[in-house]
Amino acid sequence: MREIFNETIKEKMYHYEHESGLNVYVMPKKGFIKQYAMFATHYGSNDSQFIVPGEKNKTLVPDGIAHFLEHKMFEEEEGSIFEEFSKNGASANAYTNFTTTAYLFSSTDNFYDNLKLLLDFVQRPYFTDENVEKEKGIIAQEIRMYDDDPSWRLFFNMLGGLYHLHPVKVDIAGTIESISKIDKDILYKCYRTFYHPSNMVLFAVGDVDINKVLDIVNNSVKSDKRQGEIKRIYPNEPETINKNYVEQKMAVSMPLFNIGFKDYDVGYGGKKLLKKDIVTQICLEILAGRSSDLYEELYNDGLIDSTFDTEYVGEIDHGYSIIGGQSNDPEAVKQAVLDKISKVDSIDDSDLNRIKRKITGRFLKSFNSVESISHNFITYYMRGINILDYTTTIEEITNDDVLDRFKTFFNEKNCVLSVIKP
Amino acid sequence: MSILKRNIGNGINLYVSQMDKFKTITINIYINNRLSNETAKFALLPSVLKRGSLNYKTYKEMTRHLEELYGATFAFSVYKKGERQIAQFRLEIADSSYIKDDITEDGVKFISDVLLNPLVVNNGFDSKYVQQEKEKQKNLINSRINEKTKYAVDRCIEEMCKDEDFSIYELGSIDDVDKIDEINLYEYYKKVIKTLPIDIYVIGNVSADKIKSLFDKYFKIDSRDVVDIPDTPIYKKVDQVKYVQDKLDVTQGKLTLGFRTNVKPGDDEYFPLLVLSGVLGGGPFSKLFMNVREKASLAYYAQTRLERFKGLMLIMSGIEIENYQKALDIILKQVEEIRDGNISDYEFDSTIKALNTSMNSLKDSATQISDFYLSQNLSHTNYSIDDFINKINEVTKEDIIDVSKKIQLDTVYFMTKK
Repeated sequence: MREIFNETIKEKMYHYEHESGLNVYVMPKKGFIKQYAMFATHYGSNDSQFIVPGEKNKTLVPDGIAHFLEHKMFEEEEGSIFEEFSKNGASANAYTNFTTTAYLFSSTDNFYDNLKLLLDFVQRPYFTDENVEKEKGIIAQEIRMYDDDPSWRLFFNMLGGLYHLHPVKVDIAGTIESISKIDKDILYKCYRTFYHPSNMVLFAVGDVDINKVLDIVNNSVKSDKRQGEIKRIYPNEPETINKNYVEQKMAVSMPLFNIGFKDYDVGYGGKKLLKKDIVTQICLEILAGRSSDLYEELYNDGLIDSTFDTEYVGEIDHGYSIIGGQSNDPEAVKQAVLDKISKVDSIDDSDLNRIKRKITGRFLKSFNSVESISHNFITYYMRGINILDYTTTIEEITNDDVLDRFKTFFNEKNCVLSVIKP
Repeated sequence: MSILKRNIGNGINLYVSQMDKFKTITINIYINNRLSNETAKFALLPSVLKRGSLNYKTYKEMTRHLEELYGATFAFSVYKKGERQIAQFRLEIADSSYIKDDITEDGVKFISDVLLNPLVVNNGFDSKYVQQEKEKQKNLINSRINEKTKYAVDRCIEEMCKDEDFSIYELGSIDDVDKIDEINLYEYYKKVIKTLPIDIYVIGNVSADKIKSLFDKYFKIDSRDVVDIPDTPIYKKVDQVKYVQDKLDVTQGKLTLGFRTNVKPGDDEYFPLLVLSGVLGGGPFSKLFMNVREKASLAYYAQTRLERFKGLMLIMSGIEIENYQKALDIILKQVEEIRDGNISDYEFDSTIKALNTSMNSLKDSATQISDFYLSQNLSHTNYSIDDFINKINEVTKEDIIDVSKKIQLDTVYFMTKK
C-alpha cells in the first residue's frame, strides 16, 4: 500500500493494487457524514470497435451499448440491486461517458455493507432476452429527453463539426434504432471484455477505515486469470475539422452557441496531459474568462450574458475547448474571439499569477464535497492522472507554456461554430 | 453541530456555525421579500449590484479582486420559497490554513461593499448597467422554455395557482422589467435595504465572535425599519381538476400533475407528507419508479417533488406522447394505492432510510446547512437537522394514510408536440 499526500490541500490518499490488477484508492475525510464510492471501468461509448483478448477478428458493436450495459447491470436474478441499497438507506447510481462507465453509491450508514454490494453486483451480470427488451422502452425515453435538450444537442452538433470519424461524435446513449439491435449475447461479450478488474478502479472517500475497505476488496474481488490486452480500434482521425458551422432549429428563446477548437496535440496521458489541461484552462481564462477584456467587451455590447462560459476537455486520444453561451449574434461572438486570439503576442505575468490563484482556489474548494472529489478523481484517473498532482503542476507552469499553447491551439482553421436557433 | 445566533442590527440576524472540516468559509446573505408586482425589480437588483460598487466600479475589477483572493466565489440567485421571494448572495473564500493569508476580513468587506455601497450616479444607479441588466433579465425570462423538464413543472404550477401570488415567476414579467429605470430602481433599493429582513449565515472554521465583529464593522445600515413578511396561504379546496396542454416543438411529452396537500410547512403533518412523497416517487424504491418505469417501461424518470412552502406536491415524468392516458392512469393508481393503505414495508422503510441519509448529508454542505436553517425560520419551527430526522422517524404508515386523505389533485399539465 502506498500513501500519497498533498501538502497544499492537506489531503491524504492510499493506493493499493489487488492481485486481480484492480487499483484501489481511498481518501479518508475526517468529520464528513457522507461516504461515497465509485467502481469504474475504463470502457465508454468511444469503445465501439475492439478485438476481444484471444480473438483474431474485430468486434463492432451497436452505438449506445456501453450505456445500455450500465442500465442492465442493476438487474439481478432476484430483482433489482437498487432494492439492497435502498434497504441500507444508500442511494446507488451510475453513469456512462465517452471513456468510462462508473457505478457508485452514497451513504451515511452501513458503508462497508454497501461497498460489498457495489463490488458484488458489478461483478455479476444477469442479462435475459426479457429484461433486455424491457430496458429498450426506458432508454428510448432517456434518448428522447436528450433529443429535446438544446444544450446537449448543441454540444453533440459541435462534436460532429470537429470530428470526421472519431466515435466521440456519436451520442453516448446511441439512437432508438441502434439500441434496438442490442441483445443479451452482445452485452455479455462487452461485459467479459471490459469488466475485468484489471481494467477497473475503485475509489472510496469519506470518514472510512482503509483496512476495512481492503478487507472487503480482498474478500469480494474475483481474481480471475488476467486477460490479455484489449485492442481498442479508433479510426484515424484527420488533422482537420469536419465542418466549421453546424445549425439546428429547436424550441429555444434565442440562439445558443458553442465555439469549439479541436486539439491536435493528443496521444498522451499522465502528468504531461495534466499540464496541458491546466495550461489550456489558463489560456481560456485569460482569453474569455470573467475577468478578461473580451468578456467585458462582449457583455457591454449585449452579445453575451452570464451564461457565457469556457471549458477544456483533454482526453488521451482527443481534446477540445468550448466557448459557449447564448447570443442573438453567435457569428459576431466567434469573430470577436478569433480577433482577440490573433492579437495575443504576450501574456501578462500579473494575469497569469492571478489566474493561477483562481485555479488553485477552485481546486481547493472541490475538496469540500465527496461527490466532487470522486468525480474528479475518476475523470483524471482515466487519463493516467492523479488529481493530487494538481497543485504542484499549477506551480510549474510558466509564461512561455501559456503563450506557446495560445499560438498553437487556438486558430480559425480548427474552429467550429455550433448554433441552436429558435 | 450547533449554530449561534447574533444580532447585528434591526432585523439583521447573523448565524454562525464553526466547523473545521471545510476548506473554505461560506457566507450566505438572504434578503427576504414577498412576491408582488415589484418582483421583477427585486430580481434585477443583485444583477445591477454585481456590475459595480463604489470600490470596484466594474464587474471586471470586482472579478479580478475575487481572483486575487484565491478565486473566491461570489454568486447570487433569486428564487421563491412559497410566496416569499429571496435574494441570496453567496461568498466562498479559502480558509487561512490552506493559503498563506487570512482573507476572512477581505471577504466580509467585499460582500458588504457590493450590497451596501453601490455605484450611484446622480441619485440613481449607472443607467448603462441598468439598461443592460434589464435586457439580460428579459432574455432569462424568455429562455425558460429551453429547459423542458423544469419548464413543464413551472407551467403546471403557473396554471394551478393562476389567481395566487405563487404564480408570479421568480424573475417577474417582461412588462414589469420594462417599467424599471435607474432612478426608480435606486429608490427601490434604498427601501429594500432599510425595510426587508436579512439573514446572514456563516459556516466554516471561524468563531462567531470574530465574524460578528467583522460584520459590525462593515455591514452597517442606519435607521432600519423592518417589515413583516406574511406567511404564504396554503389551504385551497379544489372544485374541479384542470387539464392544460402546451404545444411545443418537442419529441417527448412531459406530464406534470399538481396536487394541493393542504399541509402547512410547520405542521406536524408535514413529516408524514414528506414520507408519502418519498413512497410515491422519492427514489428507485418508490411506487412511481417501480410501476411507471420498471414495470411498464413508459418513462426514464417519474418522480415527486414537494413545494413545501406552498403546500403543493408535483409529480413529473417524460413519456412517449401517445402514452399520455396510460401513464396518467398508472400514476393516479399509485396515489390511490397509498390512500388505500397499500404501502409495503420495503417502500416505507426505504423511504425513511433515504430521508435519514439525505438529511444527514446536508451536514456536509455549508450552503445546504444555511438553507436548512433559513427554512426553519420560514416555517416557524426551530428544529435542528437531528430533530428533523427524529420527526421523520416517528412517522407511521397510519400517519401517511391520514395525510393522503387531505391531498387533492388540482391540475394535470401536458407538454406535447405541435
